[in-house]
Amino acid sequence: MTIGLFAVFIVITLGVTIWARVNTKGTDDFYAGGRTFSGAQNGLALAGDYMSAASFLGIAGIIALSGYDGFLYSIGFLVAWLLTLLLVELMRNAGRFTMADVLSYRGGKRPMVRTAAAVSTVTVSVFYLVAQMVGAGALVSLLLGIHPGETFMGISPEAAKVITILVVGMMMIFYVSYGGMKGTTWVQIIKAVLLMAGTTALTVLVLSRFGFNPSEMLGAADARSGKPGEFLNPGQRFAKDADGIIGVLDFVSLAVALVLGTAGLPHIVGRFFTVPDARAARTSVNWAIGLVGAFYLMTLALGFGATALVGQQAITAQDPSGNTAALQLAQAVGESVAGPVGGEILLAFIGAVAFATILAVVSGLVLASSTSLAHDFFGHVLMFGKPKESQEVAVARFSAFVIGVFAVFLAVLVRDMNVAFLVALAFAMAASANLPAIVLSLFWRRFNSTGVVCGVYGGLLGSIVLVALSPVLSGGPRSLLPPPVDFHVFPLENPGLVSIPFAFLCAVAGTLLSREKADPGRYSELSVRALTGAGAHGQSAKNVGGGR
Amino acid sequence: MQADDLAGLATDERFRLLKARFRRLALTIVGAFLGWYFLYIALSAFARDFMALPAIGNVNVALLLGVLQFVSTFALAWRYTRYARRMLDPLSAELRDEAGQRQAQRERERRILAERHRIENWTRR
Repeated sequence: MTIGLFAVFIVITLGVTIWARVNTKGTDDFYAGGRTFSGAQNGLALAGDYMSAASFLGIAGIIALSGYDGFLYSIGFLVAWLLTLLLVELMRNAGRFTMADVLSYRGGKRPMVRTAAAVSTVTVSVFYLVAQMVGAGALVSLLLGIHPGETFMGISPEAAKVITILVVGMMMIFYVSYGGMKGTTWVQIIKAVLLMAGTTALTVLVLSRFGFNPSEMLGAADARSGKPGEFLNPGQRFAKDADGIIGVLDFVSLAVALVLGTAGLPHIVGRFFTVPDARAARTSVNWAIGLVGAFYLMTLALGFGATALVGQQAITAQDPSGNTAALQLAQAVGESVAGPVGGEILLAFIGAVAFATILAVVSGLVLASSTSLAHDFFGHVLMFGKPKESQEVAVARFSAFVIGVFAVFLAVLVRDMNVAFLVALAFAMAASANLPAIVLSLFWRRFNSTGVVCGVYGGLLGSIVLVALSPVLSGGPRSLLPPPVDFHVFPLENPGLVSIPFAFLCAVAGTLLSREKADPGRYSELSVRALTGAGAHGQSAKNVGGGR
Repeated sequence: MQADDLAGLATDERFRLLKARFRRLALTIVGAFLGWYFLYIALSAFARDFMALPAIGNVNVALLLGVLQFVSTFALAWRYTRYARRMLDPLSAELRDEAGQRQAQRERERRILAERHRIENWTRR
């Protein structure tokens, strides 16, 4: 039944994608959806791009198991949008399709800035992609209820995982390479509406069980949590007393990465350019703040509701990391409203929503990286900024295919690992590699292209190396590599606290140490353009902005 | 858009005002939300007894402050948007229009020159 509902979603989105294909002609259409989306539409799409299955299933599960501490994720994910709100208009005015347009504005035609931006965009996207696709594989085995050793209609769980990853991969490649930004945006909008509807329905049903009194729900959750009296207090998951100061630092490090990462996520930045002007961009971020805020508030009801109605024991029995909490809750709530059939229906609906969520997010990521490869690397580095438009679009479609296949390959390879840390890593990388370069480009008069390159690579490599040397990979209780292997030197699991200042340092040092002279004229030009929108690429970009 | 049109506006008094206003606004908002967010994180890490105090029924201080983070985010976004609409948008629209007019003027001059050139070439033949 989940499969049936999901098939309906696929049929509708395929129709939209084909319609989008007919209406996609040049680069403005493929990369920026023709810049004709309204603020509200783009706001829905931003929310759709942002709310991944990791937040839907993952955060509900973390709250269900760790109580209050899970809620800290929700807060970080929302608060981050204020930074995005402050940057969105400037970036919309200064850029054309990608973050690299903003970063390279001041350095003129130096290709190394474009290359660095493309490398960072693709790396962040691929890490995030793999996490989402492995999640899709895990989700299907949970939905089909197959445990190790069991089979479902003759399919072993391993095969089911691989098949799911392949299907999701094929769909996302199709959406992106066929529909471009227009198709992908509509997929996001449909997904956001579905996700909000599903979450709201579930929240209302859960609260109705407690007479719409949240306090009563919290009490019931506390009682069935296995740690009554402590479940609602800080310290169940982060900065446990036993971990001492390292635990606290690790916790702060995660909080920093969550708050500073959002504004540097490539699939979010790419969406700034799909609206006609800066004002619409501001409106769209405001919409996104409203939707994302409402959604994360509802994760409270989902998480605590799952503990209260399903119980922690039943949740961990199904999946030790709690990812099934929202699904089990749907079944339990549906059953209490309309008997076993109701349970099945609600479970199927929420399951289909979760699949739609994964599919939409991975499409956004593939679009962001193929746009960067085609526009930044092919267009500006290989073709010296003078590619034919049709050529560039063809390259973008092809790179969507290449990145998609690569991500599917990686995901199949690591399908049995617990790769949840990759999401936090992607945020840390975006916060370290992209955010310092963006902020300094917009606000520091002396900043030059050597500084950009040093900052981007410094942040990217810094965060990857720190994670590789941390207990995430070896030497910790939950490490990926088995116990005898231990080469960890860096004590924190989250690199942000070190890698973000390090990236700023690299950017400043690169600027000051290089012999390259910053061009003050270009800086004045950029700041006028960013703040006023004069000369920005508008809806009729070819007439207004073509001169630059 | 000619580059010197934009760079020329950079020294304009109105642009300086716009820039100063934006910076002040941005710094206030960043300071407010980062300060409040990290205060909250610090409380979660160090003031656990305080966070565990009951506030309303089973809702403790930690959850209440968490929900207040949501409220403050909405409030700051609203504050920013209102200020931008009143104090930034009119200024930036004025400057943008001016830049557009200058460009249109330049475009007209260029076209007239080109036309004159064409006629001269034609009569010379």
